[in-house]
Amino acid sequence: MTEQLVQQLLNWITLGSIYALVAVGFSLLFGVLNIIHFSHGDVSLLAPFLALAAVQTVSASLGGSPAVAAIVLAVLFAVIVTGLLGVVLYYLVIKRFQNAPAMMALVATVALGIVLRELIRHLYPQGSNPHAVPRLVPGSIEVLGVTIPAFNLVAILVSVLSVGLLFYMLERTRLGLHIKAVSQDRDAARLISISPARIFQITFFIASAIGAIGGLFFAGYAGIVRFDFSVDVGLIGFSAAVVGGLGSMPGAIIGSLLIAGLDTLVQATVPNGASYRLVFVFLLVICVLVFRPAGLLGRTIVEKV
Amino acid sequence: MSAPVILEGSGLTMRFGGLVAMAEVDFTLRKGEILGIIGPNGAGKSTLLNIITGIYVPSSGEVRLSGERLNGQPAHRIVGKGIARTFQSSRLFGDLSVLDNVIIGRHTHMKTGIFDAILRRSKAEAELAEAADIAERLLKAVSRGLYEQRHRPAAELPQADRRRLEIARALASEPKVLLLDEPSSGMDDADTDALMDDIRALCAERPELAMMIIEHDMRLVASLPHRVLVLDYGQKLAEGSYEEVRLIPRVQEAYLGRKATQNAQA
Amino acid sequence: MSVSVTATRRTSGAATALSIVALTEIGSAAFLRQFLLAEDWRVVVGLLGFFAIVLVALQRLPTVEARIEGAFSAQGRFATLLGIAIVLLFPFLLEKSTYALHLLIIAQLYAVLALALNFQLGSANIPNFATGASYGIGAYASALLALNWDVSFWLALPAAAVVATIFGFVLGVPSMRTRDSYLALVTIAFGVVVHQLLNNLEFTGGPNGLVGIPAPELFGHSFASPLVIFGHSLPSQANFYYLSAALVGVSILFAARLHHSRIGLAWNALRADELAARCQGINATWYKVLAFVVDAFLAGFAGTIYAFYVGFISPDNFTFLVSVTIMTMVIAGGMDNTLGVIVGAFLLTMLPEKLRAFSDYRILFFGVTVIAFLMIRPQGIFPQRLRRYGG
Repeated sequence: MTEQLVQQLLNWITLGSIYALVAVGFSLLFGVLNIIHFSHGDVSLLAPFLALAAVQTVSASLGGSPAVAAIVLAVLFAVIVTGLLGVVLYYLVIKRFQNAPAMMALVATVALGIVLRELIRHLYPQGSNPHAVPRLVPGSIEVLGVTIPAFNLVAILVSVLSVGLLFYMLERTRLGLHIKAVSQDRDAARLISISPARIFQITFFIASAIGAIGGLFFAGYAGIVRFDFSVDVGLIGFSAAVVGGLGSMPGAIIGSLLIAGLDTLVQATVPNGASYRLVFVFLLVICVLVFRPAGLLGRTIVEKV
Repeated sequence: MSAPVILEGSGLTMRFGGLVAMAEVDFTLRKGEILGIIGPNGAGKSTLLNIITGIYVPSSGEVRLSGERLNGQPAHRIVGKGIARTFQSSRLFGDLSVLDNVIIGRHTHMKTGIFDAILRRSKAEAELAEAADIAERLLKAVSRGLYEQRHRPAAELPQADRRRLEIARALASEPKVLLLDEPSSGMDDADTDALMDDIRALCAERPELAMMIIEHDMRLVASLPHRVLVLDYGQKLAEGSYEEVRLIPRVQEAYLGRKATQNAQA
Repeated sequence: MSVSVTATRRTSGAATALSIVALTEIGSAAFLRQFLLAEDWRVVVGLLGFFAIVLVALQRLPTVEARIEGAFSAQGRFATLLGIAIVLLFPFLLEKSTYALHLLIIAQLYAVLALALNFQLGSANIPNFATGASYGIGAYASALLALNWDVSFWLALPAAAVVATIFGFVLGVPSMRTRDSYLALVTIAFGVVVHQLLNNLEFTGGPNGLVGIPAPELFGHSFASPLVIFGHSLPSQANFYYLSAALVGVSILFAARLHHSRIGLAWNALRADELAARCQGINATWYKVLAFVVDAFLAGFAGTIYAFYVGFISPDNFTFLVSVTIMTMVIAGGMDNTLGVIVGAFLLTMLPEKLRAFSDYRILFFGVTVIAFLMIRPQGIFPQRLRRYGG
């Protein structure tokens, strides 16, 4: 009984951390650029494909099973390339919609997500099929008589570290100050010689790279990845950010934990819960938005007349 | 002036979180009267208009139109009761024609519902045709030039015409009270003169119509309003004729004085 | 003397207008026929190129465009009657190709869905990613009625529309409080919930869906049997062709009447500036909910016809992607332009089918189309028009 409880708690926190990695990206991008980057989930899930391809290339050239070093290198490669891809997409597509009505950016990035998924499907070898993803960290530890997979611990640890680093960067560094300045008033920031364009680039890199970490853990947690997994990941990450209040980083984390909690609870208690988890999650999203239209920690913006 | 009071506010207070944007403001407006509202930026002038038109719900106090309590009612219903407004930064329906803008101003006088529109076409069309007719007459009365441009998108109009169109749109609802939020902002002297003439013509044509005008342009404030209300930091500083009000030292200090210093610096 | 001169001039003007209308309509129909029957991909590409050239030419020559438009508004009744005649005769010109008829039916159903979504996306600029769900609810409601209670198609049709309308109302309620991206998420969430429920509930048949939906019957004539008119036999698809064409007609009627009424104006006002609209006395909440309701109502009809046409339905016919496809049609065709939306629906339904080699890339093509249109031509193929009054 206790063991099961601990197991579920662990699942909850692991899932919540993974969602949070994606959700903070949505929130960060909205806070700084005032834009919904709906394809952020699809960008994030490019990482496992990149990592898989890298591992295969590296181990093929080394001839043998992938070494630990190869895996670490592949992961780093995937995170950095995904971050850069985020910047590229910003310049190719999203930049054009920055000053357009919110609806246009939303529809355009929904379409962008579709394009990314279809590109994986058509360009990646065997892109339509699921690909097995090895657990990045095998093995398990025993704590208080409960076996805990090392993977979960690492996922939680890395998530906490990444998000902590992001918070530190935003709150304590000069770069963070500049990002905040741009998010509050682009023109004023320009006056004190901060280049908004550069800040947008950096923000896209950071959001996409953190999303990539989330994507890697998600694929590792599921054990497989397929081109269309990003639909759910993107929707849940976006929902978490919205439920928490777009633009609020703590909100994104609370939203992620809330959704992951409901997800775990439904799977554990409702009969046939795995099939109905999304129903419950999205009913929660609808309820939160009906009663708190700006999310839990979001501030309602009073329109200036 | 002894015409009956049409609009009155008492003890109007507006808090946003901890910020008090308006504290205990009273005002009255009589039929056919023009009340000027002046005060430095952030004094609460627009807040007052937003409270009257139902965009904000006051934290306390009340607004009455001919004795009927208005606060708490949604903005769209308040229009139907006879209060229309314009906006400081003109908010036209830019991608619609000038004529459509005015017809939309008649929304509260049209009744077509979803079933009428689909099943009783002739009735709906007759109603719209009548509204278009009235709108065209209104445009003609407000400005011949605007009438000629009635089939252009509103976004293409020059600034002075935009302001005229906003006034025409507001008049289309046949209001008892018209609220103008800085009608002369962004206009040069010639345009402002034309605007003043327009407003005078409007008063002559509709002697019953009561008006509240928020203004910065002192030429307009000096000549049009019967009375002036001075706001500062969300409070009423003074009220009376322009001649009286401008002599009160606190007003000079709070508004005219500050403005004068600004001018001196500029 | 002068009276008779003006009279002749008027008749000759009317004759010109009549011939312009006739030429345009018959020409468009002939084009559509060639496109539907073309088998070689090179012919398809050629026809598309021709279409693009005509469009660009019209845009470069606004006087010609205005002339055509003027002719149509001067001879509105004739244009409508000729249009109806062409729609009625069209199946006889297709050389009994069931495939062409099938494409037409699907295109017409998508045209209805796109017109439905246009009330929100085009007229009022409200995001709705759940049109596919309303479509599905209409299909499932009517199919369940027919399969479980033997309800006839003609009763199931309005019943399913009512069910879909109620769903539309529920979907619209959150729009009272949420806006833009938040509202978009609410509609996406509704779409996912509906899809997941259809996929998992027992009475909807789970992922396998519902099979064996009986074909409708009218005065003893089964829609599954060939249609014989004056000795000419048309494939059974012709039944559904006429049915869906009628629904397109109803949708156009809805669109035209709502656009040219207080309601269409209120939606347009909300699109331009919600706060200013409220200050003109427009009840923003009501008009937004109304847009959701009208959308779902028409989508429900389309769903019913689809279910009875193909005979089996599954949750995968009504996914988020379907909603995005409908949105693509509205955006590419031209928001708030009835003709544009219909052209968008026809083009995007038929194009991937006609370019067979290409059909695997259909979804990719939709995605790229949306982005390209939003970036290069956000107003769509046929931009919205200003209203005209009187004359």
